[in-house]
Parts: sequence; structure tokens; C-alpha cells
Amino acid sequence: MDLAFSPDELAFRDEVREFVATRLPADVRRKVQAGDHLVKDDYYRWHRILHEKGWVAPGWPKEYGGTGWTPVQRHIFQEETSYGWAPRLMPFGLQMVAPVIIEFGNDAQRARYLPKIHSGEEFWCQGYSEPGAGSDLASLATRAEKHAGTYVINGTKTWITAAQWADWIFVLARTDPQAKKQEGISFILVDMRTPGVTVRPIETIDGGKEINEVHLENVEVPVENLVGREGEGWTYAKFLLEHERTGTAGIAGCHQQLEALHELIAQNKIDDQRLEERIAQVEIELEALAFTELRTLAAESAGKRPGPESSILKIKGTEIQQALSELALDALGPYAERHLAPRYFNYRKTSIYAGSNEIQKNIIAKRILKL
Amino acid sequence: MDFTLTPEQLLIKDSVARFAQGEHAGTDKWAQFAELGWLAIGAPEELGGFGGPLETLLVMEQFGRGLVVSPYVAQAVFAGTILRAAERTEELQRLVEGEERFAVAYEEPHARYDPAAVATRAVRAGDDYVITGEKVRVLDPSTANTLIVSARTGDEISLFAVPAGATGIAREPYAAEDGGDVANVRFEGVRVASSALLGPLGGGLALLERGLDHATAALCAEGLGLMSTMLEATVEYTKQRQQFGVPIGSFQALQHRMAEMFIELELARSMAYRAAMTLDEQRADPVARRRGISAAKVQIAKSGRFVGQNAIQLHGGIGMSEEYKVGHYFKRMSIVERLLGDAGYHLDRYLAARAASHGGQTIAAPARDPVGASAPTRS
Repeated sequence: MDLAFSPDELAFRDEVREFVATRLPADVRRKVQAGDHLVKDDYYRWHRILHEKGWVAPGWPKEYGGTGWTPVQRHIFQEETSYGWAPRLMPFGLQMVAPVIIEFGNDAQRARYLPKIHSGEEFWCQGYSEPGAGSDLASLATRAEKHAGTYVINGTKTWITAAQWADWIFVLARTDPQAKKQEGISFILVDMRTPGVTVRPIETIDGGKEINEVHLENVEVPVENLVGREGEGWTYAKFLLEHERTGTAGIAGCHQQLEALHELIAQNKIDDQRLEERIAQVEIELEALAFTELRTLAAESAGKRPGPESSILKIKGTEIQQALSELALDALGPYAERHLAPRYFNYRKTSIYAGSNEIQKNIIAKRILKL
Repeated sequence: MDFTLTPEQLLIKDSVARFAQGEHAGTDKWAQFAELGWLAIGAPEELGGFGGPLETLLVMEQFGRGLVVSPYVAQAVFAGTILRAAERTEELQRLVEGEERFAVAYEEPHARYDPAAVATRAVRAGDDYVITGEKVRVLDPSTANTLIVSARTGDEISLFAVPAGATGIAREPYAAEDGGDVANVRFEGVRVASSALLGPLGGGLALLERGLDHATAALCAEGLGLMSTMLEATVEYTKQRQQFGVPIGSFQALQHRMAEMFIELELARSMAYRAAMTLDEQRADPVARRRGISAAKVQIAKSGRFVGQNAIQLHGGIGMSEEYKVGHYFKRMSIVERLLGDAGYHLDRYLAARAASHGGQTIAAPARDPVGASAPTRS
């Protein structure tokens, strides 16, 4: 039993650390450190740097531009980019639609879409949730009706991150309203510039506008934009859920939050024993979670597919993120700074998105405890 | 990156599991432990020793799963670690062979877990020392031939090996909640030879702390085992128990509660293993060791309380009956939580260790690397 990194892995870690320290633009680093909102160009510049290095798509097969890294190397890369204050690139193109196109799409689709996702030339968003379909995604109502060589899509998607920046959206739509609800769903790629696509920003309680509603009104899409087979969209969506790995715990991000919190306390000369104890409690829980992540990483390295244990990481990771945002606020009391309150309000989303923590508990109960 | 057990470790785990799931109540199994080699864990190879903190974890986790009441932590882990650190090879050999049994008397009436709060004195008298003082909550003293006693020699603390039958020792046993052997022990002018000094004069606290850290890690492992059984029993029960025409395990409120118990169990599992690895990796750094062990005990205390309380709750009425096993596990967990340092004590210790490793500043960036990630790989 040995959770230490090998000498090669340590060397790789140093290489990534060095790369991030020297190549991440200073203004982007400052923004991320300060917790400021990033603009599209901030993400794009970092995306281009990673693309040129060949490091932008660690999860892809090598033949399409992946890195060929081991699970441990991918973990190290994720951690070091976070520790180095690099922005986390939006996952929708690189980590969500691309794996589906690779696995279930055809050669024409792989040739058409993958290079521009890799290069950052095209930006994607995810068309899943609807006003009436959140946790119960399978009850989605967006319709795709086939007429001659096109699908005509009608419906509303909501809570869509970065739709305002996106060139493309991948949409789960119902192609067969007669089939059982999971079985009538298809996975369709839609150009955001298609007539009938309207983006309306949603302002959130932190004052940001990172999410949107996307209305699809008689949007005509070539049938070639169907990925895989009609009626199998739900299978591809589930594949994605399993494909997403330990990243959702955001442990490196939590370490950054903690570091910032300690900085805040030192700079403001706050001497509060109760606060120190509350922080220590969260720190200890974070150490336990980080070790748990290493255990799942060890299992993955041994060839085990990522499983329902990732629900633990999601639930606890988001709880810790929220606790830290709360502690930062509590640290400054009545002087809670401009950056801290928005962060606290914004982080309420973490226990809701990517499968709410309640859904994650259902998963643990059903798939691990077999209740 | 490897979280698997070696074949040898699996063998130990299986043989302890067999013992723990069998009939072990009541009788003293020390001779059996010696025979099975479990007293040799962590001892030097020259004495037939093998393994270390991870093997101790494997033993204690199974003991916890099977609710084994034994002097193993107090007499093998706590005392054994002290003897090993003090380089008392002869005593250690007798311990390993089951020939001599040692219990540790360190805590004092107002100490509240602090091993440095010692008023007991050992005064030099010719070639002897004379020990006077009061120790409380000595674990497993009745079967011990020798008590390892902490006492002040001048301003510092030293450890002495005191024959349990020496004149001037008075014992006041009391019934522990889990039926364990605990006593307060008074020393009135107890005379021992100067050869009874363990380790260097005035160097007792460091030895004691190392022993406490190893014993605490062992308790974390026991807690893990206790929690595992409590959760498993709870899940099983809710699948069987029917109310309103369905198994109560189908109710979402209970499912979510058990999912939360599972999460706490996994965090505890991680910290118990992390504690064992910390002992191996931080041999040379007592501050880092202290920080790792105290963090683990805080987590185990928290998880243990949550899993224990909810195990009783989800069993409903029968969870309260003395006949049913979950209550017994809960009681032992409540004791383990507080033995050798409760969550509050360890939280303070964690904070102090964290500050100490940053030159006394309160700014303390948490460890970025996983346990052992910066250390060179072991051969």
C-alpha cells in the first residue's frame, strides 16, 4: 500500500507546475486569485496555450489529440493547474460533447467537430435542463421532429452556463413522444447561429449572468447533426455521467480557498479562537476527502472504472466549498468584502448542479448500499 | 498509486477476522495472541517482529468489527511502542512472547488527557527511585505484570517500569461501560531500582507521546471497524423491517440518512489509513506526526458519533435494547471516541501542531501533497 507519487510522477508534477507558473497570463492569474468573473477571452487565451502544448484534452484518446496520460497524471495536471490559479476550462466541449462524439458519433462528425473543440475555435454549451426537467431530466419536453432532411426543434433549455459565448449547443430532445420517457430521447448538435435560437441571460443572486435560458423555436437542424442513433440519447447522457471523474470534488480548489482564508485572517489580524476551530474542522474533513480521492485514483489506476464512489466526492466536496465560502464571510463579520458575499451566494449552486446532492445520496443508497 | 493489501497483510486480516467473528467474550486471549504472532507486530525483526502501523490497523479494524474486548491497544500497542522507542529489547522480547505484560499509567486526576500534566514524583534515593502520586484510568492494569509510569524527575518527566506487585501500589478498579479493565492507581512511596528507568532521564514525554500516537491510530482503526458493523447492521435491518407494507429501507429519509452514514464511514476509513501511514512516514517529525494523528482522531470521533447515533435511531425501539448488538457497539464507540484524547483535545493539538510547523504563525497553508507524495518512494 503506497499512495506516494513515483519519481516519474513527481517529475511530471514539477513540469506542470513550471508550465503553469511561466505560461499562465498574469492578468488571468490575478483575476482567478481575486475570485473575479472571467470573460470569454480569458478562458480562450489559456485554452490556446494548452492547445499549443498539446495538453488541452487529457481525457481524449491520443489519436484525436489526447495526451495519453495515466489517471494519476491526469489527477496531477488537474491539481497543479488549480494550485497555479489557472482557470478551469468549461467542460461542455472538451469533456462532455467530445467524448460522446468520439464514442458514439461517426467519422464525419469527429472530423468536423473535434479539431475546433481542441483548438478552442468553437465554444460549446450544454442543452440538458429545462424549466420542467431538472433532476428528472428524462421528463424533458423539447421536441425534435423529423421532416425530410432536417430536425425541427422546439423547446426551452435553462440554467445553461456560457450560452452567451457558445457557438454550438448539444441538445437532448425528444424524437419519439410515444416511447417510454428515457427511450424517446436523441442527442443532437445545434449551431447557436441557427435562426430560432434565442439566448436570454439569467441573473443570479451573486449578481452574475453566467447562466441563460435558450429558446428553440422551429430551429432547423440537418439530420447529420444527430449523434449515434435516434432514441439513444439517454444512454449517451448516462455515459457522460460515468465519464466525468473525480474532478467534481474540487479538492485543489478547496485548498486554494483555505489558503485565501488564512491570508485574509492574517492580513486583517483577526484573532478568533472559535473561527480557528471551525476552520480546523473543515480542514480536517478536507484532508479526509483528499485521501478518499486518492483511494479512488488508486482504484482507477488499477483498472477499475469510476463508479458511485464519486458521489461521495461530489457531496462532500461541495459541502466543503460552501463551508469555506461561509467561513470567509464570517471571518470579516460586518466588514465582509465585496468579493466574499458574491462568492458565498454563487456557491449555493454547487450542491444543486452536476446532480444535486440529494440525487447523489439516492445514488449511494441504491447503487452502493443496495437499498 | 496503490491502495491494496499484500498477500501477507490479507492473511493477517483474515486470521484476525476469523478470531473476531468467533466466540471471544470473557476469557483472556493473550496467550492466543502471542501464539498467532499478533504481539510481534511493529517489533524489530531481531525479535521475530514484523509489519507496523498498517498491520496494527488491520488487527484493530477486525477487533472493532467483532467488538473484541481485549488489552491489545493498551498492552501491545501503547506499551509496546514505548518499549520499542526506549530500546528496551529484553522487555520487548518478553512482551512479544507473551511472557510479561505491561500497562501504561500516565494520566492524572486533573490532566484532561495532557500527558505533560504530571504531578507524580520520582525522587532519587540512593540507587533507587521512590515514586509517589496518583494515576487515573489506567487501561488494562489487572493482567499487567509491570506498569509503565510517568513521573517528574526534577522539572522533566521520566518513565519507569514498576512491578505491578510492588509495595505501596493501591488499585481502585471501576466498571467501564464496555466491560473493560480500568483502574485508578495510587503510588505511595513505591521503590524501584534505577534500572527501572525507561529511556533517558527526563526524556519520558517524547516516549509517551510516541506511544500515544500509535495507540490513538489503533483506536481510529477500531472505530472504523465498529462503524462498519453498525452501518451494515442498520442497512440490513432496514431492508428486513417492514412498516406500512414496505421495507423501511425504501423510505427516502432513511436512505439519505444511511448515505450520510456511509460518507462518514468512508471519511473515517481514509483518516484511519492516513493515520497509519503518517506513523510510518513521519518517524522523524513528531510535529507532523502529531498533526496527522490528531486530525484522524477528530474525524473518527465525529464520524463515530454520527454513525453510532443514527444506527440506534434507524433501528427504532430495538436499538435501545441491551439485548441487541448495536447498542453495545455504540457504547464502545463512545468510549473509543474519548480514550487517550477526545475530539476537543485533539482539535487543540492539531491547531498547535499546524502552527508549530509554520514557525508559530497562524497562517498555515494546508498540505498540498497527498500523504507521502513528496517523500521518495520506499524500496
